[in-house]
Amino acid sequence: MRLKLISCEVLYREMCAAVARSPHQVDIEFLPKGLHDQGGPAMRTRLQEAVDHVDATQYEAVLLGYALCGNGIAGLVSRKLPLVIPRAHDCIALLMGGRDRYRDYFENHPGVYFRSTGWLERGERDQTAAGYTLEELIARYGEDNGRYLFDQFNGYQRNYRQLAYIATGLEPDGSFEQRAREEAARRGWRFETIRGDLRLFERLVAGDWDEADFLVVPPGWRMKPSYDSRVIDKE
Amino acid sequence: MSDLYDAILNGNAPAAAEAARQALEGGAAALDLVQGHMVPAMDEVGRRFECEDYFVPELLLSARAMKAALALIRPHLALSGAEAAGRVVIGTVKGDLHDIGKNIVASMLEGGGFEITDLGADVAPEKFVDAVRTSRANLVCLSALLTVTMSSMKTTIEALSAAGLRGQTKIMVGGAPVTQRYADEIGADGYGENAAVAVAMARKLCG
Repeated sequence: MRLKLISCEVLYREMCAAVARSPHQVDIEFLPKGLHDQGGPAMRTRLQEAVDHVDATQYEAVLLGYALCGNGIAGLVSRKLPLVIPRAHDCIALLMGGRDRYRDYFENHPGVYFRSTGWLERGERDQTAAGYTLEELIARYGEDNGRYLFDQFNGYQRNYRQLAYIATGLEPDGSFEQRAREEAARRGWRFETIRGDLRLFERLVAGDWDEADFLVVPPGWRMKPSYDSRVIDKE
Repeated sequence: MSDLYDAILNGNAPAAAEAARQALEGGAAALDLVQGHMVPAMDEVGRRFECEDYFVPELLLSARAMKAALALIRPHLALSGAEAAGRVVIGTVKGDLHDIGKNIVASMLEGGGFEITDLGADVAPEKFVDAVRTSRANLVCLSALLTVTMSSMKTTIEALSAAGLRGQTKIMVGGAPVTQRYADEIGADGYGENAAVAVAMARKLCG
Protein backbone atom coordinates (compact mmCIF):
# COMPACT_ATOMS: atom_id res chain seq x y z
CA MET A 1 0.00 0.00 0.00
CA ARG A 2 0.95 3.62 -0.42
CA LEU A 3 -0.09 5.55 2.66
CA LYS A 4 0.02 9.22 3.57
CA LEU A 5 0.80 10.02 7.19
CA ILE A 6 -0.07 13.44 8.58
CA SER A 7 1.42 13.71 12.02
CA CYS A 8 2.12 16.15 14.81
CA GLU A 9 5.83 16.92 14.93
CA VAL A 10 5.88 16.10 18.65
CA LEU A 11 5.97 12.43 17.50
CA TYR A 12 8.72 13.01 14.92
CA ARG A 13 11.26 10.41 16.06
CA GLU A 14 8.66 7.76 16.87
CA MET A 15 6.91 8.14 13.51
CA CYS A 16 10.15 8.11 11.52
CA ALA A 17 11.27 4.94 13.29
CA ALA A 18 7.93 3.23 12.69
CA VAL A 19 7.82 4.25 9.02
CA ALA A 20 11.35 2.97 8.47
CA ARG A 21 10.16 -0.50 9.44
CA SER A 22 6.75 -0.40 7.74
CA PRO A 23 6.06 -2.98 5.03
CA HIS A 24 4.30 -0.17 3.13
CA GLN A 25 5.45 3.00 1.46
CA VAL A 26 4.50 5.79 3.84
CA ASP A 27 4.95 9.46 2.99
CA ILE A 28 5.01 11.71 6.04
CA GLU A 29 3.91 15.30 6.47
CA PHE A 30 4.60 16.79 9.87
CA LEU A 31 2.54 19.72 11.17
CA PRO A 32 3.66 22.10 13.96
CA LYS A 33 3.12 21.13 17.56
CA GLY A 34 1.80 24.66 18.04
CA LEU A 35 -1.59 23.60 16.60
CA HIS A 36 -2.26 21.94 19.95
CA ASP A 37 -2.05 25.33 21.65
CA GLN A 38 -4.48 27.04 19.28
CA GLY A 39 -7.48 25.06 20.49
CA GLY A 40 -9.82 22.54 18.88
CA PRO A 41 -11.45 24.52 16.03
CA ALA A 42 -8.20 26.09 14.74
CA MET A 43 -6.40 22.76 14.88
CA ARG A 44 -9.20 20.98 13.01
CA THR A 45 -9.20 23.63 10.28
CA ARG A 46 -5.46 23.21 9.68
CA LEU A 47 -5.68 19.41 9.76
CA GLN A 48 -8.62 19.39 7.35
CA GLU A 49 -6.57 21.51 4.94
CA ALA A 50 -3.73 19.01 5.11
CA VAL A 51 -6.10 16.06 4.63
CA ASP A 52 -7.84 17.72 1.67
CA HIS A 53 -4.49 18.48 0.09
CA VAL A 54 -3.56 14.79 -0.19
CA ASP A 55 -3.60 13.54 -3.79
CA ALA A 56 -6.22 10.77 -3.65
CA THR A 57 -4.87 9.12 -6.79
CA GLN A 58 -1.53 8.46 -5.12
CA TYR A 59 -2.58 6.86 -1.82
CA GLU A 60 -4.92 4.29 -0.37
CA ALA A 61 -5.47 5.86 3.04
CA VAL A 62 -4.55 8.89 5.12
CA LEU A 63 -3.09 8.06 8.53
CA LEU A 64 -3.24 10.59 11.33
CA GLY A 65 -0.44 10.83 13.88
CA TYR A 66 -2.85 12.41 16.31
CA ALA A 67 -5.37 11.48 18.99
CA LEU A 68 -8.53 13.25 20.16
CA CYS A 69 -6.16 16.11 21.16
CA GLY A 70 -8.63 18.34 23.03
CA ASN A 71 -11.21 17.77 20.26
CA GLY A 72 -8.70 19.03 17.68
CA ILE A 73 -9.73 16.19 15.35
CA ALA A 74 -13.47 16.40 16.11
CA GLY A 75 -15.39 17.16 12.93
CA LEU A 76 -12.56 16.15 10.62
CA VAL A 77 -14.11 14.91 7.37
CA SER A 78 -12.87 12.08 5.19
CA ARG A 79 -13.31 13.10 1.52
CA LYS A 80 -11.95 10.57 -0.96
CA LEU A 81 -9.65 8.39 1.13
CA PRO A 82 -10.27 6.60 4.43
CA LEU A 83 -8.83 8.36 7.47
CA VAL A 84 -7.16 6.21 10.13
CA ILE A 85 -6.48 7.34 13.69
CA PRO A 86 -5.51 5.55 16.91
CA ARG A 87 -8.13 5.63 19.66
CA ALA A 88 -6.53 7.76 22.36
CA HIS A 89 -6.98 11.07 24.16
CA ASP A 90 -3.55 12.48 23.39
CA CYS A 91 0.02 11.79 22.34
CA ILE A 92 1.00 10.67 25.83
CA ALA A 93 -1.39 7.74 25.50
CA LEU A 94 0.15 6.96 22.09
CA LEU A 95 3.66 7.02 23.55
CA MET A 96 2.56 4.75 26.40
CA GLY A 97 1.13 2.22 23.97
CA GLY A 98 -2.55 2.74 24.64
CA ARG A 99 -5.31 4.53 26.44
CA ASP A 100 -5.78 1.95 29.20
CA ARG A 101 -2.20 2.12 30.44
CA TYR A 102 -2.36 5.93 30.20
CA ARG A 103 -5.56 6.11 32.22
CA ASP A 104 -4.15 3.80 34.90
CA TYR A 105 -1.00 5.86 35.20
CA PHE A 106 -2.88 9.17 35.15
CA GLU A 107 -5.28 8.07 37.90
CA ASN A 108 -2.54 6.70 40.13
CA HIS A 109 -0.19 9.66 39.70
CA PRO A 110 -2.12 12.87 40.38
CA GLY A 111 -0.37 15.98 39.12
CA VAL A 112 1.93 14.31 36.62
CA TYR A 113 3.49 16.22 33.74
CA PHE A 114 4.93 14.27 30.80
CA ARG A 115 8.02 14.65 28.67
CA SER A 116 9.31 12.79 25.63
CA THR A 117 11.96 13.58 23.03
CA GLY A 118 9.42 15.60 21.02
CA TRP A 119 8.14 17.50 24.02
CA LEU A 120 11.70 18.37 24.99
CA GLU A 121 13.04 19.47 21.63
CA ARG A 122 9.98 20.95 19.93
CA GLY A 123 7.76 23.90 20.78
CA GLU A 124 8.97 24.33 24.36
CA ARG A 125 8.22 28.05 24.24
CA ASP A 126 4.53 27.48 23.64
CA GLN A 127 4.18 25.91 27.04
CA THR A 128 4.96 29.05 29.00
CA ALA A 129 2.33 31.68 29.68
CA ALA A 130 0.06 30.75 26.78
CA GLY A 131 2.79 31.54 24.30
CA TYR A 132 4.04 34.75 25.90
CA THR A 133 7.28 35.29 27.73
CA LEU A 134 7.33 37.41 30.88
CA GLU A 135 9.13 40.17 28.97
CA GLU A 136 6.48 40.25 26.25
CA LEU A 137 3.67 40.47 28.78
CA ILE A 138 5.38 43.30 30.67
CA ALA A 139 6.04 45.19 27.42
CA ARG A 140 2.39 44.93 26.49
CA TYR A 141 0.55 45.26 29.80
CA GLY A 142 2.99 47.06 32.09
CA GLU A 143 5.18 45.76 34.90
CA ASP A 144 2.50 44.97 37.49
CA ASN A 145 -0.19 43.57 35.20
CA GLY A 146 2.42 41.74 33.08
CA ARG A 147 3.77 39.87 36.09
CA TYR A 148 0.23 39.14 37.27
CA LEU A 149 -0.69 37.62 33.89
CA PHE A 150 2.50 35.54 33.80
CA ASP A 151 1.63 34.12 37.23
CA GLN A 152 -1.94 33.42 36.17
CA PHE A 153 -0.93 31.64 32.98
CA ASN A 154 1.69 29.52 34.73
CA GLY A 155 -0.22 29.03 37.96
CA TYR A 156 -1.50 25.61 36.96
CA GLN A 157 2.06 24.32 37.02
CA ARG A 158 2.09 24.90 40.77
CA ASN A 159 -0.45 22.09 41.00
CA TYR A 160 1.89 19.56 39.42
CA ARG A 161 3.98 17.25 41.56
CA GLN A 162 5.75 14.86 39.24
CA LEU A 163 7.48 14.77 35.90
CA ALA A 164 7.50 11.50 33.97
CA TYR A 165 9.89 11.02 31.08
CA ILE A 166 8.69 8.50 28.52
CA ALA A 167 11.72 6.64 27.21
CA THR A 168 11.05 4.98 23.87
CA GLY A 169 14.48 3.48 23.33
CA LEU A 170 14.97 5.60 20.20
CA GLU A 171 17.08 8.18 22.01
CA PRO A 172 20.69 8.55 20.84
CA ASP A 173 21.94 8.66 24.44
CA GLY A 174 20.81 9.62 27.93
CA SER A 175 20.72 13.37 27.24
CA PHE A 176 16.94 13.66 26.84
CA GLU A 177 16.28 11.81 30.07
CA GLN A 178 18.88 13.98 31.78
CA ARG A 179 17.18 17.17 30.57
CA ALA A 180 13.85 15.94 31.90
CA ARG A 181 15.45 14.99 35.21
CA GLU A 182 16.97 18.46 35.50
CA GLU A 183 13.66 20.12 34.69
CA ALA A 184 11.95 18.11 37.45
CA ALA A 185 14.65 19.15 39.92
CA ARG A 186 14.31 22.79 38.89
CA ARG A 187 10.57 22.73 39.46
CA GLY A 188 10.83 20.72 42.65
CA TRP A 189 8.87 17.78 41.25
CA ARG A 190 9.42 14.06 41.68
CA PHE A 191 10.97 12.40 38.65
CA GLU A 192 10.29 9.06 37.06
CA THR A 193 11.28 7.46 33.79
CA ILE A 194 8.63 5.22 32.31
CA ARG A 195 9.05 2.86 29.41
CA GLY A 196 7.33 3.90 26.21
CA ASP A 197 5.61 1.46 23.90
CA LEU A 198 5.76 2.02 20.15
CA ARG A 199 3.29 -0.64 19.10
CA LEU A 200 0.50 1.82 18.20
CA PHE A 201 2.87 3.69 15.88
CA GLU A 202 4.03 0.46 14.27
CA ARG A 203 0.50 -0.83 13.79
CA LEU A 204 -0.70 2.50 12.39
CA VAL A 205 1.85 2.47 9.57
CA ALA A 206 1.68 -1.30 9.06
CA GLY A 207 -2.03 -1.22 8.25
CA ASP A 208 -2.88 -3.31 11.32
CA TRP A 209 -5.99 -1.30 12.20
CA ASP A 210 -7.83 -3.39 14.72
CA GLU A 211 -11.25 -1.87 15.53
CA ALA A 212 -10.47 -1.87 19.27
CA ASP A 213 -7.45 0.41 18.93
CA PHE A 214 -8.02 2.29 15.67
CA LEU A 215 -10.85 4.14 14.04
CA VAL A 216 -11.14 3.94 10.24
CA VAL A 217 -13.32 6.72 8.86
CA PRO A 218 -14.61 5.92 5.37
CA PRO A 219 -15.13 8.70 2.78
CA GLY A 220 -18.20 10.80 3.52
CA TRP A 221 -17.97 10.31 7.29
CA ARG A 222 -16.44 12.50 9.96
CA MET A 223 -14.79 12.05 13.34
CA LYS A 224 -16.38 12.90 16.67
CA PRO A 225 -15.56 12.31 20.34
CA SER A 226 -17.42 9.26 21.63
CA TYR A 227 -17.35 10.28 25.33
CA ASP A 228 -16.71 6.70 26.34
CA SER A 229 -13.79 4.24 26.48
CA ARG A 230 -13.56 4.12 22.67
CA VAL A 231 -12.64 7.84 22.80
CA ILE A 232 -13.28 8.54 19.10
CA ASP A 233 -16.18 7.60 16.86
CA LYS A 234 -17.49 8.42 13.37
CA GLU A 235 -20.78 9.89 12.20
CA MET B 1 -19.67 56.17 32.79
CA SER B 2 -17.59 56.45 35.98
CA ASP B 3 -14.02 56.13 37.22
CA LEU B 4 -14.85 52.73 38.69
CA TYR B 5 -16.40 51.50 35.46
CA ASP B 6 -13.46 52.76 33.39
CA ALA B 7 -10.84 51.31 35.73
CA ILE B 8 -12.43 47.85 35.55
CA LEU B 9 -12.85 48.04 31.79
CA ASN B 10 -9.21 49.07 31.43
CA GLY B 11 -7.95 46.41 33.82
CA ASN B 12 -6.41 48.95 36.18
CA ALA B 13 -6.60 47.43 39.66
CA PRO B 14 -5.08 50.33 41.68
CA ALA B 15 -7.40 52.82 39.94
CA ALA B 16 -10.42 50.57 40.55
CA ALA B 17 -9.62 50.30 44.26
CA GLU B 18 -9.10 54.06 44.50
CA ALA B 19 -12.37 54.80 42.71
CA ALA B 20 -14.24 52.42 45.01
CA ARG B 21 -12.65 54.00 48.09
CA GLN B 22 -13.58 57.51 46.99
CA ALA B 23 -17.11 56.51 46.10
CA LEU B 24 -17.65 54.83 49.48
CA GLU B 25 -16.20 57.85 51.30
CA GLY B 26 -18.50 60.06 49.29
CA GLY B 27 -21.44 58.11 50.68
CA ALA B 28 -22.24 55.89 47.71
CA ALA B 29 -24.27 52.78 48.54
CA ALA B 30 -22.30 49.56 48.13
CA LEU B 31 -25.10 47.83 46.23
CA ASP B 32 -25.36 50.76 43.79
CA LEU B 33 -21.63 50.55 43.10
CA VAL B 34 -21.94 46.87 42.30
CA GLN B 35 -25.14 47.00 40.29
CA GLY B 36 -24.66 50.40 38.69
CA HIS B 37 -20.96 50.28 37.86
CA MET B 38 -19.23 46.94 38.38
CA VAL B 39 -21.80 44.60 36.84
CA PRO B 40 -22.18 46.86 33.75
CA ALA B 41 -18.38 47.07 33.46
CA MET B 42 -17.98 43.27 33.57
CA ASP B 43 -20.87 42.91 31.11
CA GLU B 44 -19.04 45.24 28.74
CA VAL B 45 -15.82 43.23 29.25
CA GLY B 46 -17.78 40.10 28.33
CA ARG B 47 -19.26 41.81 25.27
CA ARG B 48 -15.84 42.91 24.05
CA PHE B 49 -14.52 39.38 24.58
CA GLU B 50 -17.41 38.00 22.53
CA CYS B 51 -16.58 40.24 19.59
CA GLU B 52 -12.86 39.48 19.92
CA ASP B 53 -11.94 42.98 20.93
CA TYR B 54 -10.73 41.61 24.28
CA PHE B 55 -8.86 38.34 24.81
CA VAL B 56 -8.00 36.20 27.82
CA PRO B 57 -5.34 38.62 29.22
CA GLU B 58 -7.83 41.51 29.16
CA LEU B 59 -10.44 39.31 30.87
CA LEU B 60 -7.97 38.42 33.60
CA LEU B 61 -6.93 42.04 34.15
CA SER B 62 -10.50 43.35 34.29
CA ALA B 63 -11.39 40.59 36.74
CA ARG B 64 -8.37 41.58 38.82
CA ALA B 65 -9.47 45.23 38.88
CA MET B 66 -13.02 44.21 39.72
CA LYS B 67 -11.78 42.12 42.63
CA ALA B 68 -9.63 44.96 43.95
CA ALA B 69 -12.72 47.19 44.11
CA LEU B 70 -14.94 44.43 45.46
CA ALA B 71 -12.53 43.79 48.36
CA LEU B 72 -13.31 47.31 49.63
CA ILE B 73 -17.01 47.22 48.81
CA ARG B 74 -17.81 43.74 50.14
CA PRO B 75 -17.83 44.60 53.89
CA HIS B 76 -20.39 47.34 53.15
CA LEU B 77 -22.46 44.94 51.08
CA ALA B 78 -22.64 42.50 53.97
CA LEU B 79 -23.81 45.30 56.30
CA SER B 80 -26.55 46.35 53.90
CA GLY B 81 -27.86 42.77 53.84
CA ALA B 82 -27.90 42.70 50.05
CA GLU B 83 -28.87 39.38 48.47
CA ALA B 84 -26.38 37.74 46.13
CA ALA B 85 -27.48 36.96 42.56
CA GLY B 86 -26.90 33.32 43.45
CA ARG B 87 -24.70 31.05 45.54
CA VAL B 88 -22.16 29.26 43.38
CA VAL B 89 -19.81 26.36 44.06
CA ILE B 90 -17.13 26.19 41.39
CA GLY B 91 -14.13 23.95 40.73
CA THR B 92 -12.07 22.03 38.17
CA VAL B 93 -13.06 18.36 38.28
CA LYS B 94 -11.07 15.46 39.67
CA GLY B 95 -7.84 14.63 37.88
CA ASP B 96 -7.61 18.01 36.13
CA LEU B 97 -5.18 20.62 37.45
CA HIS B 98 -5.91 23.43 34.98
CA ASP B 99 -7.58 26.39 36.56
CA ILE B 100 -7.17 29.52 34.40
CA GLY B 101 -10.60 29.20 32.77
CA LYS B 102 -12.24 28.29 36.05
CA ASN B 103 -10.60 31.30 37.74
CA ILE B 104 -11.85 33.65 35.03
CA VAL B 105 -15.40 32.33 35.27
CA ALA B 106 -15.28 32.57 39.08
CA SER B 107 -14.11 36.20 38.84
CA MET B 108 -16.70 37.10 36.21
CA LEU B 109 -19.46 35.57 38.34
CA GLU B 110 -18.18 37.37 41.42
CA GLY B 111 -18.17 40.60 39.46
CA GLY B 112 -21.70 39.77 38.37
CA GLY B 113 -22.88 39.75 41.99
CA PHE B 114 -22.72 36.02 42.73
CA GLU B 115 -21.44 34.57 46.00
CA ILE B 116 -18.59 32.20 45.13
CA THR B 117 -17.19 29.14 46.87
CA ASP B 118 -14.10 28.24 44.82
CA LEU B 119 -12.92 24.69 45.55
CA GLY B 120 -9.83 24.99 43.33
CA ALA B 121 -8.58 22.31 40.95
CA ASP B 122 -8.62 18.47 41.03
CA VAL B 123 -11.82 18.47 43.10
CA ALA B 124 -13.34 15.08 43.98
CA PRO B 125 -17.12 14.59 43.51
CA GLU B 126 -17.68 14.21 47.26
CA LYS B 127 -16.04 17.59 47.87
CA PHE B 128 -18.56 19.20 45.53
CA VAL B 129 -21.35 17.41 47.41
CA ASP B 130 -20.08 18.65 50.79
CA ALA B 131 -19.65 22.22 49.54
CA VAL B 132 -23.15 22.34 48.04
CA ARG B 133 -24.59 21.14 51.35
CA THR B 134 -22.58 23.62 53.43
CA SER B 135 -23.09 26.66 51.25
CA ARG B 136 -26.65 25.79 50.16
CA ALA B 137 -25.51 26.59 46.63
CA ASN B 138 -28.09 26.93 43.89
CA LEU B 139 -25.50 26.61 41.13
CA VAL B 140 -22.53 24.28 40.65
CA CYS B 141 -19.97 25.13 37.96
CA LEU B 142 -17.69 22.33 36.71
CA SER B 143 -14.60 22.93 34.59
CA ALA B 144 -12.29 20.56 32.67
CA LEU B 145 -9.53 21.23 30.15
CA LEU B 146 -8.62 17.65 29.23
CA THR B 147 -10.82 15.21 27.35
CA VAL B 148 -9.43 12.51 29.60
CA THR B 149 -10.85 14.24 32.71
CA MET B 150 -14.18 15.26 31.20
CA SER B 151 -15.71 12.01 32.47
CA SER B 152 -15.20 13.35 36.01
CA MET B 153 -17.96 15.86 35.20
CA LYS B 154 -20.33 12.97 34.71
CA THR B 155 -19.33 11.27 37.96
CA THR B 156 -19.66 14.57 39.83
CA ILE B 157 -23.19 15.10 38.52
CA GLU B 158 -24.03 11.51 39.47
CA ALA B 159 -22.68 12.11 42.98
CA LEU B 160 -24.82 15.25 43.36
CA SER B 161 -27.86 13.30 42.20
CA ALA B 162 -27.11 10.39 44.54
CA ALA B 163 -26.82 12.88 47.43
CA GLY B 164 -30.30 14.18 46.59
CA LEU B 165 -29.03 17.68 45.78
CA ARG B 166 -30.16 17.97 42.16
CA GLY B 167 -33.44 19.55 43.28
CA GLN B 168 -31.78 22.48 44.98
CA THR B 169 -28.91 23.15 42.61
CA LYS B 170 -28.44 23.65 38.88
CA ILE B 171 -25.26 22.49 37.16
CA MET B 172 -23.28 24.38 34.54
CA VAL B 173 -20.26 22.95 32.72
CA GLY B 174 -17.50 24.46 30.62
CA GLY B 175 -13.90 24.18 29.49
CA ALA B 176 -12.13 23.93 26.14
CA PRO B 177 -13.13 20.34 25.15
CA VAL B 178 -16.68 20.56 26.56
CA THR B 179 -19.57 20.94 24.12
CA GLN B 180 -23.32 21.49 24.37
CA ARG B 181 -23.71 17.92 23.17
CA TYR B 182 -21.62 16.57 26.05
CA ALA B 183 -23.43 18.83 28.54
CA ASP B 184 -26.76 17.38 27.36
CA GLU B 185 -25.42 13.85 27.47
CA ILE B 186 -24.35 14.06 31.12
CA GLY B 187 -27.46 15.93 32.23
CA ALA B 188 -25.98 19.35 32.96
CA ASP B 189 -28.47 22.24 33.05
CA GLY B 190 -26.25 24.67 31.20
CA TYR B 191 -23.12 25.00 29.14
CA GLY B 192 -21.00 28.10 28.70
CA GLU B 193 -18.83 28.26 25.63
CA ASN B 194 -16.77 31.00 27.26
CA ALA B 195 -16.62 33.06 30.44
CA ALA B 196 -18.86 35.82 29.08
CA VAL B 197 -21.59 33.34 28.19
CA ALA B 198 -21.14 31.70 31.59
CA VAL B 199 -22.34 34.79 33.46
CA ALA B 200 -25.47 35.14 31.30
CA MET B 201 -26.15 31.41 31.68
CA ALA B 202 -25.67 31.58 35.47
CA ARG B 203 -28.19 34.43 35.69
CA LYS B 204 -30.66 32.42 33.67
CA LEU B 205 -30.19 29.28 35.78
CA CYS B 206 -30.45 31.17 39.08
CA GLY B 207 -33.29 33.40 37.91
